[in-house]
Amino acid sequence: MWTWPIYGYLFLAGTGAGATAISAVVLMRGAGGAFGPRYFDVARLGAMIGPLPVIIGTGFLIFELGRPFRAFNIMTSNFWFMPLNPSPMNFGGWMLLPFGIFGVLYMFCFMPWSRWLPGVRGNLLDAWSTKLRGPLAMIMVPLSVATAIYTAVLLGAVPARPLWNSPVMWALFTVSAFSTGIAAIMLGQRLTYRANGDREAERHFHNSGYALTVADLVLIAFELMIIALFFMAAYFSYGDVRYAIQVFLSGGEMAGLFWVGLVGIGLLVPFCIEAFFVLRKMRTGSFRVPYAVEIVTPLAILVGGFILRYVIVIGGQITGPVGL
Amino acid sequence: MRDEQQLDRVPPAEPPAVPDPDHDPSGRRQFLKKLGGSAALAVTGAAAVTSLQAEPEANEQVEPDVQYGMLIDLRRCIGCQACSIACKSEAYLPLGVFCNGTASTEKGHYPHVSRSFLPRLCNHCSTPHCTRVCPTGATYKRPQDGIVVVDQGICIGCLYCAQACPYTVRFLNPVTRFADKCDFCAHRVSQGVVPSCVNTCQGRARIFGDLNDPESEISKMIATNPVTVLRRAMGTEPNVYYIDVDFADENLKRPGEYVRVTTHQGSRKKRG
Ligand code: SF4
Ligand code: SF4
Ligand code: SF4
Repeated sequence: MWTWPIYGYLFLAGTGAGATAISAVVLMRGAGGAFGPRYFDVARLGAMIGPLPVIIGTGFLIFELGRPFRAFNIMTSNFWFMPLNPSPMNFGGWMLLPFGIFGVLYMFCFMPWSRWLPGVRGNLLDAWSTKLRGPLAMIMVPLSVATAIYTAVLLGAVPARPLWNSPVMWALFTVSAFSTGIAAIMLGQRLTYRANGDREAERHFHNSGYALTVADLVLIAFELMIIALFFMAAYFSYGDVRYAIQVFLSGGEMAGLFWVGLVGIGLLVPFCIEAFFVLRKMRTGSFRVPYAVEIVTPLAILVGGFILRYVIVIGGQITGPVGL
Repeated sequence: MRDEQQLDRVPPAEPPAVPDPDHDPSGRRQFLKKLGGSAALAVTGAAAVTSLQAEPEANEQVEPDVQYGMLIDLRRCIGCQACSIACKSEAYLPLGVFCNGTASTEKGHYPHVSRSFLPRLCNHCSTPHCTRVCPTGATYKRPQDGIVVVDQGICIGCLYCAQACPYTVRFLNPVTRFADKCDFCAHRVSQGVVPSCVNTCQGRARIFGDLNDPESEISKMIATNPVTVLRRAMGTEPNVYYIDVDFADENLKRPGEYVRVTTHQGSRKKRG
């Protein structure tokens, strides 16, 4: 039975990869994009938030193994003949290793080196960071997208778990990864921003909040649609998939958590809140969101992302092929 | 006496050389063969290509010369669990885990009731799903006799194979911390002795032998009896055959019918 290390990893890696991808994209887009002069702050937040959860989650995965100290067998058991084999876990290993290395480098590129190390060394590190940031962002985009997708590929590759073995699941996990990644950046931005009376800075802060909210709104709408498609596909199927989906229908073991926790708290509530403020901005032109709302909305999205991983991992394992 | 009779039935396969030269962790030969195109081969490097060309075709895992299989005749099974115990002692399994467990199905309303048994073990599938997902190549189908084994020198205990097996026969051995399951008593059959569960079966319900040999007892029994396999729809092509399985299941019962399936994992809530 796969339990908390697995869904913990799926959540942390999804969120971290999403935040890293957003950060890299925002950095590459530069000051001309929707974030205006705040683009660099948003990119830095994403880079600070992103890589660590992925690495911690990978640690969960490794210590969940029966033999953790052999973890590198995933890549090296047959390295000299064919380092890649068709197993998704092997693919994941080769994905997470560079993600860890480049992710940490990418994170280091945003550290205030000259403030920490006054003198020549700090200045040198700063100069390198400025030079490396762009190329690293270019590497991080495909790597983080692949890491986000891998979380679903791992589950999707086994026909013996009809709930997981569906292309819809892959889309769901990938979209959820980006949505929770944006939520993490939104939360970080709210918690680190200090109003200092500068009107212009505050306007830019609200503008970047608006850009993130709109992106998140679209992703949540996608996620709701994918969930609807998932149920539809299962409903019009037969046998294994049809029976597996019953854990989420009324009377199923995970129905309450799925509909109240994920669809309600995790998707519909943030969707309505975000839609309200986005529509108000369209009407009045101002995007002023109360502090509490700006904390609660991303938290709800993150909780929803965790519940999604939980219900899918556990629900997939308590269902299986029908019949003896 | 009985042992000797059964001994005749099993043609000894080549005992595996150590290290097994046919071991193909990661299934690279199959995979490369599937890729086929020279472009794909070029990517994997010249070394791999030459080693590939040097491999004789006989190394292919797809069609083993000997494919061991089992036929369980449930008309003779009395649900005594002797096989489960013989298997546990043969494999030194700790408490709580089983390579072979005999499930029982109760159904009907008094007085029209019945109880039937279903011993379950690894099916040593011809298209095993477990080997396909193994990231290390630790679990593979032996080319010399078609037994699906776990190489404990490589396995990392990730249990991906346990997720992929549609028969839930794999588990983490709590003592060794490796993936474990029935290995058709490879240490016995490579010496020409039948597996422990076959040897012990009181009703002689289990027949073990080479499915590729049309003259073996198991092949004759399969040819002359109506047989089934479990969960054929999963496409694993199992090599454990059954006669007279009762497929009544909680999920597929008629309205108002009472069916309860009890396995060694407890009375099941879990579907599958
Ligand atoms: S029964 Fe399961 S463990 Fe055994 S070979 Fe088939 S898929 Fe693998
Ligand atoms: S537990 Fe061992 S045999 Fe099973 S998939 Fe993992 S490495 Fe392979
Ligand atoms: S063949 Fe051996 S390992 Fe498999 S169920 Fe029988 S006794 Fe157990």
